[in-house]
Amino acid sequence: MKYRSLKQFVCFLMVPLMMLAGVTAQTQAAMISTDNIAAEVSSDLGRDEIKSLLDRQDVSEQLSAMGVNTADVMDRVDAMSDAEIAQLHQQMETLPAGAGALGTIALVLLILILLDVAGVTDIFPRV
Amino acid sequence: MPSVSHLIPTHAALPRVFFVFCLLLTGCVSTPQTEQLLSRHPTPVPLIHHVEGVPFFPQEKYQCGPAALATVLSASGLAVDSEELVGQVYVPDKKGSFQVELLAAARTYGRIPYVIEPQLQVLLAEVEADHPVLVMQNLGFSWYQVWHYAVVAGYDLTRAELILRSGKLRERSTPLGVFENTWRRSHYWGFIALRPGELPARADERKYFLALVDFAQVNPVAAVEKGYRAGLQRWPESRVLGFGLANLLYEKGDRQGALSVFRKLIETAPDYAPAYNNLAQLLAELGALDEAIAMAERAVALGGPRAASYRETLTSLQQQKPQ
Repeated sequence: MKYRSLKQFVCFLMVPLMMLAGVTAQTQAAMISTDNIAAEVSSDLGRDEIKSLLDRQDVSEQLSAMGVNTADVMDRVDAMSDAEIAQLHQQMETLPAGAGALGTIALVLLILILLDVAGVTDIFPRV
Repeated sequence: MPSVSHLIPTHAALPRVFFVFCLLLTGCVSTPQTEQLLSRHPTPVPLIHHVEGVPFFPQEKYQCGPAALATVLSASGLAVDSEELVGQVYVPDKKGSFQVELLAAARTYGRIPYVIEPQLQVLLAEVEADHPVLVMQNLGFSWYQVWHYAVVAGYDLTRAELILRSGKLRERSTPLGVFENTWRRSHYWGFIALRPGELPARADERKYFLALVDFAQVNPVAAVEKGYRAGLQRWPESRVLGFGLANLLYEKGDRQGALSVFRKLIETAPDYAPAYNNLAQLLAELGALDEAIAMAERAVALGGPRAASYRETLTSLQQQKPQ
């Protein structure tokens, strides 16, 4: 059997595969998968980590000195979507190593910049 | 994090680097974790511990990743050497290995990699539990990065030092404070390689669950099941571990096993909607349609982010019921 084009060959391969995928998806539809729960857990952990950083006394003092209410920021973090949390958390991971070793002011500035990027605060005006 | 590790290339700049290193050391470096640890009496872990049977693979060129990984895998009872790992975790272009690749390779060798909490105290607790810890260090500075992987195989708090398998040194004694500085620059990154059924000395139940989920991608069901069962022994109330185990049993066709785990789960976590949803589906498959509908109704009543799925389950079950 010869295929006139690559496209045709790919279609020949894909159509039964997709039908198969459709069938399994149907039988599993009602079950909540473990992977699905894992995504939620990982997002919750990221949220907790961000909040524990905001919870640090030096950080919250510095935030209030800058006129930002920590409780407000916490509420906003709670309200952020999983994707936003993942983004923010990832950015925090790439902070200069050991954010704990940074001076409080530097850390607070970084948090504010990150929260700004994520649209939680609006302290630094967009250029 | 796209960091890459390798050893200091030997060249003439070293003495100069060392001089600057000394200059910078004398003022701006503090080691809070070390100080906190050493100031506590009694110390949170016994004073001295060496993990028995941690082999040594002297590092070839920049290949500290394969050497360190071979060390922890062998210590966990596998017959591997660093040579065979080079192809899997060594990136010639970068003269190093990525952290995620080390974790992934550990999984393909049937071990559950668990990234430890970023604390010296936790690191020591794992060593004390005979889990050698593969750590990432930056032996240089944040601006002159000399990434390196090593394995912590023991410690001696009476001398405030760690024993590392590192580079070409079988027993590298490193003062705790120096280690903290080099470790901090990797965000205190380190992991242990667990045999299925083995648990970290210090662990978070949710992080252990995530480690198992990743492990399950490339490992046989029996090994994953061992992991869940061990986890549930330590955290019998864990909803995510119970849920994971029940789903796993269901997927491998053990419906009765899944049924009993789901039933136990809704007892320990009566407000956990996903468990009711899956239990409903399972009961329907087992022919207990009325109870299935009752469970689905509870899931719908509890609601939450997956409320739409629960409603779908309920509707489909109600449709199955003969009028």
